[in-house]
Amino acid sequence: MKTSKSKELSKKAKEKQKNVLEMLKSHGAKIYDDLDNGRFPKFSIPSRSVSNIVYDKKLRQYILGNNSALRSAKNSAQLRSFTQLMWLAFFANRLTQEKKSSTLRDVYYSSQAFAVEFEDQSESDNIIVDLEAISSKPREDFHIFPEERSSIFGDLNIEYTIPGYEGKTMNLSNHPDGYAIGPSLTTAELVDTSAEIVIAVEKGGLFTRFVEEQIDKKFKSIIINTGGQAPRSTRTLLKRLHDELGLPVIILTDGDVYGEHIAMVIKSGSANAAHLRELTVPDAKWVGVWATDIEKYKLPTIPMTESDIKRCHDLLKDPRYEGGIWKKELDVFLRIKRKAELEAFSKYGLTNITDKYLPQKIELAKSL
Amino acid sequence: MSSIKEKFNQISPSEFFYSNRDLAGFSNPTRSLYTAVRELVENALDACDQKGILPDVRLIIKAVDPEKPDPKPYILTVKDNGPGIDSKYVPLAFGTILYGSKFGLKQARGMFGLGATMAILYGQITTNKPVIVKSSTDGKIQDEFEILLDIQKNKPIIVKHKTKEISKQGLSISICLEGDYSKAGTKIRDYVYETSLITPYATITFDDPKGEKFHHPRFVKDIPPPPTIIRPHPHGIDVERIRRMIVESLFEIPNIDDAMIEKVRKDLGLSKKNISFTGIMEKARKKWKTLPRQVRVVISLMSFLKMDFEKLNKIRIEDIDVPHKKLFYWDFGDSQSKSVDMDPESLYYNQLTHTVQGEPLTTFLTKRFQRVGPTTAIKFAEFAKFKPEKRVGTMTNQELVHLSNSLQKFEDFMAPDSSCLAPLGAEPLEKGIKKFFNPDFTAVVQRPASAYSGFPFIIEMGIAYGGEIKSGGPHVYRFANRIPLLYDEGSDVVLKVVNDADWGRYKVKGDPPFVIVSHICSTRIPYKTAGKENVADRPEIERELRLALQLLSRKLAAYMSKRGQAEMAKKRSNLYAKYIPMIAEFCTELAGKKKEPNYKKILEEVNLIESKKTVEEEKPIENK
Repeated sequence: MKTSKSKELSKKAKEKQKNVLEMLKSHGAKIYDDLDNGRFPKFSIPSRSVSNIVYDKKLRQYILGNNSALRSAKNSAQLRSFTQLMWLAFFANRLTQEKKSSTLRDVYYSSQAFAVEFEDQSESDNIIVDLEAISSKPREDFHIFPEERSSIFGDLNIEYTIPGYEGKTMNLSNHPDGYAIGPSLTTAELVDTSAEIVIAVEKGGLFTRFVEEQIDKKFKSIIINTGGQAPRSTRTLLKRLHDELGLPVIILTDGDVYGEHIAMVIKSGSANAAHLRELTVPDAKWVGVWATDIEKYKLPTIPMTESDIKRCHDLLKDPRYEGGIWKKELDVFLRIKRKAELEAFSKYGLTNITDKYLPQKIELAKSL
Repeated sequence: MSSIKEKFNQISPSEFFYSNRDLAGFSNPTRSLYTAVRELVENALDACDQKGILPDVRLIIKAVDPEKPDPKPYILTVKDNGPGIDSKYVPLAFGTILYGSKFGLKQARGMFGLGATMAILYGQITTNKPVIVKSSTDGKIQDEFEILLDIQKNKPIIVKHKTKEISKQGLSISICLEGDYSKAGTKIRDYVYETSLITPYATITFDDPKGEKFHHPRFVKDIPPPPTIIRPHPHGIDVERIRRMIVESLFEIPNIDDAMIEKVRKDLGLSKKNISFTGIMEKARKKWKTLPRQVRVVISLMSFLKMDFEKLNKIRIEDIDVPHKKLFYWDFGDSQSKSVDMDPESLYYNQLTHTVQGEPLTTFLTKRFQRVGPTTAIKFAEFAKFKPEKRVGTMTNQELVHLSNSLQKFEDFMAPDSSCLAPLGAEPLEKGIKKFFNPDFTAVVQRPASAYSGFPFIIEMGIAYGGEIKSGGPHVYRFANRIPLLYDEGSDVVLKVVNDADWGRYKVKGDPPFVIVSHICSTRIPYKTAGKENVADRPEIERELRLALQLLSRKLAAYMSKRGQAEMAKKRSNLYAKYIPMIAEFCTELAGKKKEPNYKKILEEVNLIESKKTVEEEKPIENK
């Protein structure tokens, strides 16, 4: 059973690689033909301007509209970015072909070896998003990953697919510091698990506490530290845990408007990644800390800042916050104008959060 | 009282200079060497200019003992091919202070020719060596003098004088003086370089003490038209100057001595004869028109005295009392003062009063000032509330001050005559700028003559950009009456005007390779200090400088935008040339091909498009 699944998965990975390479090759061939025939090469990129980002109610996420921009080598102002994009496709092609991984930062530095100039990393990051938009594929498909800062712990067996580790397996509860969610983990096959739920927490401190308190065993869970706003690799992994292993996902954040939005991005993506559709976990549930919890659990609070309040008002205009718990909690935040950290529970004892609050919330999640 | 007077007499101009040499730019060995070079070179150029000779000036500086550290004695020699100085005048010209030949009102580098003598004096003070002057006015005989200055008596001491035959006219001056070439060298080289820029019709050679030769041959064959000497403008005058002019215009009552009587007899054709008073008067009436003024005055006096020559010999005129119409005289025979009445109806009365009281105001103005006609003179008299026929000789001190102030205030005088100015001319200036800076762009303007405080001036300016000009501009080259101004740049009006300009507006940005040459020509440059290094900001001059600079800046802006477009086009072409091959390289591997695509066609097309664009964009600028 295990081997057949593994083979099936590896076949899937190979297919994915083949798709990516074919896509890159067809783009390259078109540009090659243009140049060879004395035509200025060009292609269109879906526009990522604010006016072209729309909310799709069916998909429950932001997507790009139909507007697209033409990028042409004839336009001297676009020549540079055209060349950068060409190089990135070329570099992604090598990465994918050779099954080598790279990070956003590594891409930026690699460019220098090819005399391709990027002003700074944000310029190269931006070109990477261009490639994603053109291909409608996340950068991870091109073997480009963000710097690791989020981690995972729990009884989950994985099997690596990266070169040199193919077929090797690993149980993610072997190391109490947790495992960094990097390229090899994101691309690994998820073989099996005894867990029944995934708990995503916003903070590394709480993640460590949960491991210490053996939350993985007590609640049969996989614990993930998102490290603030969850990186796309982590969101990809959350999605795979949900889709491939059928695990429900709950999210625990600070009791403020930013925490609420961290949960929302895991659930329905970010406007920044409106060009991608594989990064959302629409069934994920935000279980706290809610504004109402602040009152209910009498948590110590600090006053909201001006920018917190402004953010509340901004989010109220977002269609995803139009109803339900999302709008309700924002309203309460605006009413009490105070916020609380996850650590606020320590006022009632260091294990108060794991002993009292978490069980209640896991119970509650079932009914949400 | 007498002892005080004696003390005053002892301070001769030479002594005054000796104790105040900072004033003339001889403050330290560095500055002194530079100033001495300047004074001698400028004298040489002025001398040639005055006679319309294309100047060949050779400057040699040699260390007396090259091994000694600076400051040390140097021998400074300047040779020219000018008119030379008559051997009679050489000792006076170079052996006394305040002996100058340049007192007329016209543009010249130096005002009075004092500077050279100051340099000589400085040399003598520091090294106690005589100046060696070699002069030939005819190109055949040369007089060679060695002269020392007697500082206390302000008199030349001729140490040696010899003559020899030569084949070239001109003047050569050698001074031995304490200097610091290691410090002054840069400025002196700059001075020679810049002088040759503003004097393009001169050949200037400089042999420096380190054995280097700087040769600047003339590149213009014509000397600009020489300036004419003109009368002063009413605006450029003060009370003291008016007083002097009036004195000059007055005709003194001649002293009637034997010689004078002899002259009158001769002019009347009566040398031998002794005739009666009436006979003399008769003769004088007939010859009146041919008689000189002096003689007329004597005859007029005789008409009231009713004396013949013999009687006239025995008196002395004491006073002509115009208000009381009386003539006082001393009778030697009777040893007493006597008087006669003068008949105001007599024609002789007019002759006398005119002589004593000077010209009428209107005549004084029209005759002694530039560009004042009879109509303006009468208008001015009305303005100043003087009677037009008011005799200038009768004016009181108060009236003179009033006259001077009114001359300043009256605005209907015509602008000063600029024929006394000798600008270089736009063409030679442009030629010079092109030769010296080898720029990509040059523009030159000569403004029409203008005036401040009655002194005419003309601004000439040039602007140059790009080419071999160093970046970090604008580099400002200041000239005044064909002298380069090298010191005290910061406080100069030209710098002020240049710094006030908003160069960004004229498309000049960053660290531009950019030169401005400014030349102010005037009968009097308003220097801020005696050292003649920076020009004060008179509003009229500042305005003209601004106008000149604006005009040139607009031309520069037009050029810059053209240049900018050409640069942009080139930049764009370069962009394609840089990026298209990279795109080709990357897509070759992406497409899985071995051979790179042929992108040459595209690059050719790009060059064609860009060159077309540039031509099209240039057109509207031409129309501006």
